[in-house]
Amino acid sequence: MIDQPARARDFGQSRPHAGENPPFLLTTSSPGRSQRRLAVCVLVVLVGALVVTAPFARIPLENTEALLPAYAAAVFVNEVITASLLLALFSVQRSRAVFALSIGYLFSGVMVIPWALTFPGVFESLGLPDAGLQSTAAIATLRRLGFPIFVLAYALLEDSGSSARVSHGSARSVILAGVAGVVAIACGSTWLIVTSDDALPGFMKDTRNVAAPWQYVPATAVCLYLVGLCVLWIRPRSVLNLWLMVVLCTLLIEIVILSYLSAGLRLSLGWWAGRLYGLLSASLVLLVLLSEKTTLYARLVRSVSAERRAREARLTAMEALSASIAHEVNQPLASMVTNADAGLRWLGRQSPNVDEARAALKRIVDDGHRAAKVIEGITTMFKKGAQERVSVNMNRLIEETLRRCRDEARLGRISVQAELDADLPPVMGSPVQLQQVISNLVANAIDAMTAVAGRKRVICIRSARRNSDAILVSVEDSGTGLDPKYRDRIFEPFFTTRSDGMGMGLMFCQSVIEAHGGRLWVTDNEPHGAIFHFTLPSADDPPSTAGATVR
Amino acid sequence: MSTDQSIVFIVDDDPSMRASIESLLRSVGHSTRAFATTHEFSLGEQPDVPGCLVLDVRLPGRSGLEFQQQLARSNNRLPIVFITGHGDVPMSVTAMKAGAIEFLVKPFRDQDLLDAVHRGIEIDRAHRAEATMLAELRQRFESLTPRERQIMAPVAAGRLNKQIAAELDLSEITVKIHRAQVMRKMQANSLPDLVRIVDRLAAGTTKP
Repeated sequence: MIDQPARARDFGQSRPHAGENPPFLLTTSSPGRSQRRLAVCVLVVLVGALVVTAPFARIPLENTEALLPAYAAAVFVNEVITASLLLALFSVQRSRAVFALSIGYLFSGVMVIPWALTFPGVFESLGLPDAGLQSTAAIATLRRLGFPIFVLAYALLEDSGSSARVSHGSARSVILAGVAGVVAIACGSTWLIVTSDDALPGFMKDTRNVAAPWQYVPATAVCLYLVGLCVLWIRPRSVLNLWLMVVLCTLLIEIVILSYLSAGLRLSLGWWAGRLYGLLSASLVLLVLLSEKTTLYARLVRSVSAERRAREARLTAMEALSASIAHEVNQPLASMVTNADAGLRWLGRQSPNVDEARAALKRIVDDGHRAAKVIEGITTMFKKGAQERVSVNMNRLIEETLRRCRDEARLGRISVQAELDADLPPVMGSPVQLQQVISNLVANAIDAMTAVAGRKRVICIRSARRNSDAILVSVEDSGTGLDPKYRDRIFEPFFTTRSDGMGMGLMFCQSVIEAHGGRLWVTDNEPHGAIFHFTLPSADDPPSTAGATVR
Repeated sequence: MSTDQSIVFIVDDDPSMRASIESLLRSVGHSTRAFATTHEFSLGEQPDVPGCLVLDVRLPGRSGLEFQQQLARSNNRLPIVFITGHGDVPMSVTAMKAGAIEFLVKPFRDQDLLDAVHRGIEIDRAHRAEATMLAELRQRFESLTPRERQIMAPVAAGRLNKQIAAELDLSEITVKIHRAQVMRKMQANSLPDLVRIVDRLAAGTTKP
């Protein structure tokens, strides 16, 4: 948990453009095509609604004061929730820009309360002291001009590097101080406005109609909105930036309706339409935040489950590996024990048979070497990164392996052919591992042919140059071939078509070949059997592919 | 040791393991024959002496367990001692249920293998003795005439000559003569002896 903010910070710094690997924060991820389209649609609908309402803007709607508290409450709740979600984002991301924006929303939300309370004719029944004629307009001015300034601050602070980050420990105190400051400013300014009504500019002629000084307010607001839009436009496009631009547009429409189309006439149709735009703008970022949260949560769940699956797969592979090791080591071990027992019995007879005992001892020596080879192979397999890669002559390796397999092949009456390319370039790799791959493939081929009757049993190993930078080795058999329905699964650990098989060999081969930067695959042999092919990068060229795949 | 009249077959794909088991068995006087696959084993001739099969579970081609079933299907009752590198319980249960003598996990104690092989040979010897005896009795039975066979069953069931004569509508003296023939041909010294022989024949025909 501790490194999470730090990581978010790193993402913000190193990839501010949220390019090929977007960090999944609202402020850093770039909006998708559908999001952009949605934003444009919203704007089109809003402008359309503006055009429709424009002719009727000045129709007064009487006795609608009662709707005002509901409107104010909705705006207050929406903006405060938006502010708290943004503050939560800030506590993760530590971006001053996000902090400024959340303070802006909080300020705007909190200022709705005195605005509604001082509105003429709304709360008279509560017995509040009668506020001056200009109070409501003055509070509205503060609110209207304050919010775009905070948005502007957000847009300017955003993406200005590490200086815009708040240090780790102080997020909580910064949030507390910010909230307290906003509440204090809201209370203080309200008190000032209410108590010094006479000193305020004469915004209003009466409770319904605005006076000439008011004209400066919408003009300033429009300027601020336009500047905000411009700054956001030239900034890198994040999801939040996109929707803030939509918000500023709705606010722009609101001010146009409120102050120009309805000529500032309070409680007219245009005035209420403007209020609806205000409510919409207060809700937009909230909606975006909520939907993004849901998306992020779904993404999180997906990635957690993917991680869990990957871990299970790793465990299975580990189990498979240990089972294979146990088997590979146990085989020579068992043989050694029985040979030693036999030797002891030959020597313990009334007339000891030294020749038999010697033969048993000789077999023990061979088994010991066999076990050591297995251990060596395992060790090299585990030391993947640091293992010794030497130049390997694949042809020699193949011949050596075939010499070892020859007895077994002869037992199965299988003829073994080799068609080796004399000009084969060397490869870089582990001779032990590669030899094990070849002997596994040959052993598989022999197994595949034991059940074959009525046709020739032939194994053919070919080596050849492939392109300029790789070699190709193939092991062909005339055995039973591959069942198409199993073809995709033969490289999985524990998959075997033999009732007694471990299903380890091909998985091992594949991991070794891939660790060497090559590929292993299988095709059908005509008319019978299967061909296993693998490629390896040749050592003539710098082994860039080999290096890349060795983990 | 009196094992010169027996043979132990070994099927294991690992050459060193195969040689070591052969050597161990030969060191105590068994004669052995080793094969790398079950296929080779089936191609080889099986001499008519008591024997035992030491069979690896994990083999190229057909596995040991499958081969056990195949032998059972072809009525080959050669006792089997399984050896395996990675034994698990279900595998051993399958093998033992199908009549294996022993299921040894490599590396095993030499005495365990020798004991199992010895037991297997003894079981096979007993099987063979039983089979020989049964064949002998069958031969004797074959030498009876239809009438004698007809009379042997009620005699063995303990019925009196008089009763048999009444049932088959024969004179008592005829029954007596046939009965004496049956006793002679079946080489039965007494009535209980005959009863035992008939029981064996019946058991041998229902359960081969």
